[in-house]
Amino acid sequence: MNINILLFGQLTDITGIGTITMEDVADTDSVVQNLHRRFPALATSKYVVAVNKNIITGNTLLTQNSTVALLPPFSGG
Amino acid sequence: MTERKPKNIFVEGPVLPSFIGESIQQHSTKTNIGAHSIFLGQVRADMVDGKSVTAIEYTTYQEMALEKMHTIREAIFDKYTLTCMHVYHSLGKVAAGEISLFVFTSSAHRKAATDACAEIVERIKSELPVWGKELFENEEYQWKENK
Repeated sequence: MNINILLFGQLTDITGIGTITMEDVADTDSVVQNLHRRFPALATSKYVVAVNKNIITGNTLLTQNSTVALLPPFSGG
Repeated sequence: MTERKPKNIFVEGPVLPSFIGESIQQHSTKTNIGAHSIFLGQVRADMVDGKSVTAIEYTTYQEMALEKMHTIREAIFDKYTLTCMHVYHSLGKVAAGEISLFVFTSSAHRKAATDACAEIVERIKSELPVWGKELFENEEYQWKENK
């Protein structure tokens, strides 16, 4: 199962890239744990998680080609 | 009410004063309008530790932002009796003193236009996935935080 992961704003300072593909992750908690292992500074960063453009509040099951986005605090306007 | 399609609100670089003037001009034929309300967000040259902000570079999660903006638009049209509503937000670099957000509402009487305009600005700032990177003279930067 392929999951697309998008990172934005200050989070890309940590990862160096804005897009990551992950295989064999069943839910958003697994995605987040995997990212925190690869990029420890993410664990202390503020962000919310969106699945297919909707912000989630708890662990969410993923399906083939789900898009998971990590969104740091918004600062538009 | 009529179904409105998601519109692209994003423009590359600053919103130009001439564009704002033309937008006002375009409403002169809509004579049922009695009031316009306009909000303009301008990039501020904040001082941080003795350095001043020279520009803000904006990025977005565009697909999500346009869906969210569509939801906001529908909610505002449901809540207020507006004739029309236009929103433009910059992407990329906008220098201090230039305009990065243009919200324009029109109605028959002033209260709907002014209240709707204020609410749209608040919702844009808190709900749209847009990020501003404040650039300093010396190539340093910091990520903006909305207050």
